[in-house]
Amino acid sequence: MRLFFKALIFCAIFGSPMFVTHSSAADDATEAAATPADTLIEVAAPVEAAAPTESAQTLSKDLVLRGDARCTQCHDESDSPQLLAIGKTLHGVTADVRTPTCTSCHGDSDKHVNNTGQVKPDRTFGKYSATPPAELNAACLSCHQKDANRHLWMGSIHESRGVACSSCHQIHAEHDKVRDRRTQADVCFTCHKEQRAQINRLSHHPIPEGKMGCSDCHNTHGSAGPKLMNRDSVNETCYTCHMEKRGPFAHNHDPVTEDCSICHNPHGTTAESMLKMRPPFLCQTCHTPHLPIQSSLTGQSPPSSSPGWWSSPAITQGRSCLNCHTQVHGSNNPSAANPAPQNLFR
Amino acid sequence: MKTTKMQFGFSQKLLTLAVIAAFAPAHAEEAEVAQLVRPESYVSAGLGAATGDTNDRAIFGQYNGLRENDSNLLLEFNFIKRDDTKGLWTNAEGHNLGLDNRELGFSQQKQGDWKYFVGYTEMVRHDPRTINTGLQNAETTTPVVMSLVTPGTGTDVNLKIKRKALSAGAEKWLTPNLMFVVSAKNEDRKGARLSGTGVACMPAVFSSIPCSSLGAAMLLLPEPIDSKTKQFELKLNYSDEKLMLSGGYYGSFFNNTNRSMNPQVSGNLVNPDGTTLDTTTTPGSTLVGYLQQPMALAPDNQAHQLYVSGTYAVTPKTRTTFKYAYTHATQNEDFGSLGAPAGVSNLGGVLDSNLVQLGLTARPMEKLSMLGSLRYEDKADKTPLALYNGAYTNDLTSSRKLGGKLEANYRLPDNYQATLGIDYASVHRDNPVTTADIMNITPPAISPLTGLREDTNELGYRAELRRSMSETINAALSYEHSKRDGGSWLIIEPNNTASNAVGTYPMTMLDRKRDKVKVSIDWTPIEKLSLQFMLEDGKDKYSAPSDKGLRDTGMSSYGVDAALILSESWKLTGYLNQNTQTVHVDHNVGYMAELENINTSLGLGVIGKPLSKIEIGGDLSYLNDDNRYQQSMATGAPIVGGGLPDVTYRVTRLKLYGEYALEKSAVIHADMVYQSAKINEWTWGNNGIPFTYSDNATVSMQQNQNLTFLGFSYVYKFR
Repeated sequence: MRLFFKALIFCAIFGSPMFVTHSSAADDATEAAATPADTLIEVAAPVEAAAPTESAQTLSKDLVLRGDARCTQCHDESDSPQLLAIGKTLHGVTADVRTPTCTSCHGDSDKHVNNTGQVKPDRTFGKYSATPPAELNAACLSCHQKDANRHLWMGSIHESRGVACSSCHQIHAEHDKVRDRRTQADVCFTCHKEQRAQINRLSHHPIPEGKMGCSDCHNTHGSAGPKLMNRDSVNETCYTCHMEKRGPFAHNHDPVTEDCSICHNPHGTTAESMLKMRPPFLCQTCHTPHLPIQSSLTGQSPPSSSPGWWSSPAITQGRSCLNCHTQVHGSNNPSAANPAPQNLFR
Repeated sequence: MKTTKMQFGFSQKLLTLAVIAAFAPAHAEEAEVAQLVRPESYVSAGLGAATGDTNDRAIFGQYNGLRENDSNLLLEFNFIKRDDTKGLWTNAEGHNLGLDNRELGFSQQKQGDWKYFVGYTEMVRHDPRTINTGLQNAETTTPVVMSLVTPGTGTDVNLKIKRKALSAGAEKWLTPNLMFVVSAKNEDRKGARLSGTGVACMPAVFSSIPCSSLGAAMLLLPEPIDSKTKQFELKLNYSDEKLMLSGGYYGSFFNNTNRSMNPQVSGNLVNPDGTTLDTTTTPGSTLVGYLQQPMALAPDNQAHQLYVSGTYAVTPKTRTTFKYAYTHATQNEDFGSLGAPAGVSNLGGVLDSNLVQLGLTARPMEKLSMLGSLRYEDKADKTPLALYNGAYTNDLTSSRKLGGKLEANYRLPDNYQATLGIDYASVHRDNPVTTADIMNITPPAISPLTGLREDTNELGYRAELRRSMSETINAALSYEHSKRDGGSWLIIEPNNTASNAVGTYPMTMLDRKRDKVKVSIDWTPIEKLSLQFMLEDGKDKYSAPSDKGLRDTGMSSYGVDAALILSESWKLTGYLNQNTQTVHVDHNVGYMAELENINTSLGLGVIGKPLSKIEIGGDLSYLNDDNRYQQSMATGAPIVGGGLPDVTYRVTRLKLYGEYALEKSAVIHADMVYQSAKINEWTWGNNGIPFTYSDNATVSMQQNQNLTFLGFSYVYKFR
């Protein structure tokens, strides 16, 4: 009994949070020189300096996931608090029998366990992971391929370029940046740097403002559309917000029906309406200029023009060609009267 | 009792304290673990204020809800409740509640069983440009044009479009293999956007009217927007060990309240040289008659799609993917009083599309993986033809697209990985066939195009070599080459050989040779520093029946990204990129345009925790977008007016935030944004002289826009 109470007092003194809760930076030193107090606490939750035995593992309690004790006996709230944050996520709901445990993704990792971390786990998900992306992704797809949004993952550009799920997703974080519209683009810009500059141009979709994310147009997990478009084509994706452009119209404009991105750069431009080039130059990549003169501006010496013809600034400035051809996406005007709606005037 | 106490050498009180002390760490541990594994909720309330006026905030406030008011309420919340025993989540969240782009959402789900959500969002797009106009009934379908005596003396109108969207959806696992998904979204859009009308005397349009008796005029008329879009989707997903299948219906519907815009001109207009354009006598009165003709606005339309897609594991290492979709889209908005041909009340537009996509991925050897895919899309425009402009019918947009790719990836010795790929894409357009019926009509049916092409085919090859040189460095080098050609050209005016020899042909149909090379390196020289280098260069060369039109384009890009972990508390990031794009167009009228866009961007970021209660962070970004419009004459003659000046857009933005923990569950959050933007463009004016419409309406945007935004919020966190 005396021994028991002495031990109890030992616990009272050395088992205080000051000694139990230590920073992860101090972990190695603490583990190397386990204090008697540590030893006492291990009776309840064994953390062994050497390879954990089967009986010791059995004594450990799961901290977050079902069956995580194998890992959390070392990687606990003191060692790796950031890893436990997986408990805040959908993966951390043990009531859902489908949710994984650590080894579901990282593998059994016997060597890692038996060598107290000297050997890496079977599967690691870091940037320079030795595990091939296909193997990393298989761990995720074993469950998540059931989601129809990932049915076309295999053979998609991201899959074939060796992008791992963990290249974009933070599995252990409560806030997975790529699943939040307001922070998603920053993750995509890790690779897509040209678009990072484009969204800061004057004319852009509200991506920097957090009202749109890349996934509003792209299904990064694979799609039947080009450029991983959410819908089956560029246009059908654009129509989800810009349905008024769908027509068909009495007078269509071929590139409009073929592909919106012929004229627009949806990631942003300095020209109005995210046009790839400033009219009239954009229009003149397909169409013959009206006037036998080059573009000029208000205030410059106006070039000579045929009587009654509009001046050069009028096809250069303002809405340029669209000053008159205002229905450039198509006109549903059936009238035969001048000016001819056929030329997308009205 | 005393003896007993003496025997133990401790008082009961001390014993109690010892017991409590012994178990307290366990409770503390549990509390600490609970804090790490329980999702966190928060409520945030505060106030934000920005300097300057709406003109200073025109660029900054396009979408963020901070343009109109100097100060705004900053309200957010995110409530998450999780019942761990049932796996039941309840989530309610609200963002930007004090702004005009607020968002509200509510959802519940029992993981692995069911889920539903309801969401409401608002978003306003404020046009950064300001119209100065004498227009009456602006932003309606019946605007009345009243000329200003002097430009700039009218009313300032800031156009905006407000979207309000309500969405809802649900998912239910019917069996462990079968899931039902339904979603719906309704969006109302109201506001106005820049639009207008114009009439110039062109033979193609006014062949019967001498130019001298018509003149020309242009009006800036905001197009009123009052429309709804609706989207519905029903889906059934099946999955087993080998087969995953999804089939469903997607319907989308557009409804526009405004059928047409009917402008009226009241009083005289103004000629480009500033003289009065008398609208009471010819040619002015004739001109006004044309300007007042109704303008058709976007018609109602709808589309219904049935689809099935999925994947099937043929063997553990071979998998197929597939999709089939059939879409039936219609547009039968009544023409009303717009003046349809006799016997025609609506277009009767019908588009039927079929899409088939097949893919195969395989790993025949441990080191070899292969993939192939085929995509076929047939769009049949079944809209009946009618004579909508005398001799001309409506034009149809039928097309067939075929695409495919083959790719092999092989892991070579020494950590090399090689990828070889072939890509094919072809487009067949029925449109020229339709227009063939109306060729040789003067003026041409599709003016001012020189020719069209039914078929284009593109074949490309690519190769990529990757090497993981060590655990700290990866590098990749890739090269792509493709060639596009096509069938014979259908010349719009075949008899006009002289014109066709210098004509412009559509860029999407031109023969094209494309070459592109890309190098990227990922390097982690030390554990706490990672660097990314990227270099890309590409060229497209075009050829057509003439030596005019689009000749070549180019792009080059380089950049470096860096991330440095200074300590557990401090992290730095940075990037520098420059992208250049060039376009070379030769015009049949004797001048050449060499366009160049040089986009330079720079960013620096820092996140730190200087004290346990303080967290700070900041981002500095800089963008310079320089557009050059070099023109030259084939004859060597000087360019009128010296040509076009550069268009430049430069924006520097500093974003800082800080959080001070008042207590464990409450923080004060502060935001500071400084933005300096400068736009220099000739679109709406030049050298201080505004470009004026025929009613002296002008459009402007403040050239230099500097502002500072400050926001403070109290954030309460709870579990």
